[in-house]
Amino acid sequence: MSIISDIVESTKSIIKGMSVTFSYIPKAKWTVQYPEEPVTLQPRYRGQHLLHVDELGREKCVACYLCAAACPSDCIYIVAADDPRAPEERTGVDERYAEVYNIDYGRCIFCGYCVEACPKDAITHGYNFELSVYNRADLLKTKDDLLITKQKQSPNYRVAFSDEDVDSEYKEV
Amino acid sequence: MTTAESVKVTINGQEFQVQKGAPLIDVCRENGFAIPSFCYYADLALQASCRMCLVRIEKMPKLQTSCTITCTDGMIVTTQSEEIEKAQRGMVEFLLANHPLDCPVCDRGGECELQEMVFDWGGLEERFTERKNYYPEKFLSPIVANDPQRCILCKRCTRVCDEWMGEDAIEAGGRGANTVIGTFGGWLNCSQCGNCIEVCPTGTLLDATYRHQTRPWELERTVSTCTFCSDGCQMSLGSRAGELMRVVARDRYVDGINGEFLCIKGRFAHPFVNHEERLRTPLIRYRKGGKLIPATWDEAIRFTAAKLQEIKDAHGANSIGVVGSPRLTNEANYVLLKFAREVIGTEHYTASEAFSLAPFFKHMTAPLATHKDIRHAKTIVLIGGEPEELQPLTAKQVRQAVRNGGAKLVIINSVPVRLKQQATQFLHVRPGTEDALVLALAGQTDDAMAARKMGVEVGEIEPLRRMIDETQGNVVLMFGGELSTEAQTILAQLPGSIGDEENRRFLFHPLPLFNNSFGVHDVGLMDGKLNATGLLDAAGDTVRALYVAGGLLPAHLQGREQALQNLDFLVVQELFATDTTAHADVVFPAASFAEIDGTYTNNDGLVQRVRQSIPPVHQAKPDWVITSLLADALGIDFNYQMSASAVFREIGEHVPAYQGLRYPLLKDESKPVQAKYQLAGQRAEVADVLAELRQRVERMTGAGDKIMETPEVGHELFKIGTLTGKVPQFHLLAAGNPEPPDVLVSPLYQITIDSGLRRDTAIAGD
Repeated sequence: MSIISDIVESTKSIIKGMSVTFSYIPKAKWTVQYPEEPVTLQPRYRGQHLLHVDELGREKCVACYLCAAACPSDCIYIVAADDPRAPEERTGVDERYAEVYNIDYGRCIFCGYCVEACPKDAITHGYNFELSVYNRADLLKTKDDLLITKQKQSPNYRVAFSDEDVDSEYKEV
Repeated sequence: MTTAESVKVTINGQEFQVQKGAPLIDVCRENGFAIPSFCYYADLALQASCRMCLVRIEKMPKLQTSCTITCTDGMIVTTQSEEIEKAQRGMVEFLLANHPLDCPVCDRGGECELQEMVFDWGGLEERFTERKNYYPEKFLSPIVANDPQRCILCKRCTRVCDEWMGEDAIEAGGRGANTVIGTFGGWLNCSQCGNCIEVCPTGTLLDATYRHQTRPWELERTVSTCTFCSDGCQMSLGSRAGELMRVVARDRYVDGINGEFLCIKGRFAHPFVNHEERLRTPLIRYRKGGKLIPATWDEAIRFTAAKLQEIKDAHGANSIGVVGSPRLTNEANYVLLKFAREVIGTEHYTASEAFSLAPFFKHMTAPLATHKDIRHAKTIVLIGGEPEELQPLTAKQVRQAVRNGGAKLVIINSVPVRLKQQATQFLHVRPGTEDALVLALAGQTDDAMAARKMGVEVGEIEPLRRMIDETQGNVVLMFGGELSTEAQTILAQLPGSIGDEENRRFLFHPLPLFNNSFGVHDVGLMDGKLNATGLLDAAGDTVRALYVAGGLLPAHLQGREQALQNLDFLVVQELFATDTTAHADVVFPAASFAEIDGTYTNNDGLVQRVRQSIPPVHQAKPDWVITSLLADALGIDFNYQMSASAVFREIGEHVPAYQGLRYPLLKDESKPVQAKYQLAGQRAEVADVLAELRQRVERMTGAGDKIMETPEVGHELFKIGTLTGKVPQFHLLAAGNPEPPDVLVSPLYQITIDSGLRRDTAIAGD
């Protein structure tokens, strides 16, 4: 190959590539105005976990450790305990409950295996993604942070309906 | 003994030469053909109720249960075929018809045989839509929880309770699909060994002390040796995050001399390890009558070393006594002995042992029996002792030898012990007259005199002698602490004088009380000038300071409380604050068996490993490390470099019976190594001992009442000691195991025996 053909070929490639880039310049731009305006999340978004309770307010978790076993990043720590009280007074739905339930969000990779493993539907992914903290230790969330009754929804997001077209809601700038 | 005939069996087209009469299931498994089963359990009576081990045997009309078939010549067996698999899958479906799907809350989940079987043989969906039989989960005792619904009726528990423990406390009631495993009156009053829990293939019987605590896969497992009696059962410690959670002997984790057998202490009395009352730091009492004040290790070691040096300089080396303990490892006792001899230079060293076996070891003319030997013995002579309470594994082996092996058992005891149910002959003697029998067996007195002293018929001694004479196989001679040292000596010489016959062999099985009673003898700690009581009696007089590792026995302290006060200086290494530490000037927090590496020597003479399961709690240190630190402070470096194996290597070099032993040789608990004890020949000097024994027997009054009452189950097992007292459940058992008003709730939450046991915090899961 001669030098001339090299130059021609490479110029062609550059033009081809840059044409894509330049073609976006006149087009409309999509920007999410977070945190001034709430973000819309997909229904199956995997945010901070929720520990659920039943209709009587008892924790659904029976501390079976399956989530901890399924966790690839080993970020769930549970201490199981026995609650001998009558069913209505119990902390959980069963005699066995999680006395301690910690998730270390410094390690969690939001893979959702724990949710899949749970035989009692006690843990699901919520939508909260605002997990940044100033102190590394604060990334360790305890039962008090994870229980659905203790979590407050942030005003900074809303969850889309399953048939909603989320993208169209973004604004043109 | 006849050698078993060899027969040819064809399994799945391959030919094998096997022993005639061997169970087909074992033969198949040994040759690599997996056969599922629930109810089959080696060395228990056959049950054939689970129907999982089905095989096709040619010329037999139906599928056969391989656990009940014994091998015969020319048998052609198929273990895998479509027909067999269909039958097995059908069986699993039936087993699951009543089994609840509560694996997430079941403590067996993760190590459940049913779960594993369902993975292999279960269907994807359940075709039974009928209601399952419902029974609530309940408690059978403070330490046995029961969920009848999970039961698959393999009846391993009932067979174990009957054959191993001889208690028949747990049985099947009801019929057909409504059969439930239960107890008489709904409450379990037995020795609470928990073996039913261990052998249960499902979560029907569960450990109530470990209930709902964690899950098996979360536990870090360590094989170790039990620290409660001289049988030295092998067990698997399960720990999590520096806490000892449970002790089991499941054959999937550990394969020791005891199989899956453990007693209540071994299995349940472990919570002392992480108990909050464990000593946390070294403590120093700076002036007599003052308080024990927490100190740093450096300060405590320096203080102790200075004091010991001071006393040694003022009163001489022999004014310092060193007391080891038969509860400590060989390493700890050896280093202690080395400390006494080389650093202090004292002749006053001993161990707080209940009775000395030193004369026995010196005159032993027959080898020691292993527990396997006991199981296959033909005649067992038990003089004194109460193995069902003090050495439960020995008792189990004796029971099985009689029940399953047809052995003859002779018991000579002043107490009608429970084991006498199995005895061929029971000589009920007056308290303290067991010596007379030894004299009679040695042929040194006429039976009439011995019988008169013991309070038995004259004719009762001759059958015993004949039984020993006629035995074809092993004769195991067991004895407890009731025998005087003279009688032990004569008994030790007995096999030599009777002589071996072609098919008869004598074996000894002493029944000391502690886990390392043999070890303290072996390392030489019992060879000191004075014994523990002797040292205490000399306290304040010739003995000015004591260095006690592991605490003194209550039996030794009784009536000698003042002795410890008389000492100028008392150093104690302990786990907990005890009667001994109450008088101590310096207390070192020692590490428990779960926190150290080491070895124990059991009553078979097997040297078995103790392994570290959790790091030492608080600031505790292993006993031998503390002694080494003291030696270092006194100017002699033992140079063990913090390694228990270095200590054991030195033991292997210096203790004759342990010659050549190293940790790597003791690695496999399924092939335990016996210490090489030197057998003594017939000794002339025994004549003196014999004369002394004869005098002793002649001095016996030959009058007095016999003890007629059979001791209650658990009178020794449930005793509240320093260690067992840390388990709340033991307090309930010691108080007579009262039945709570509601068996559905843990008795611990309903009955308060001891207000010191933190009932409320226990409810909060603390």
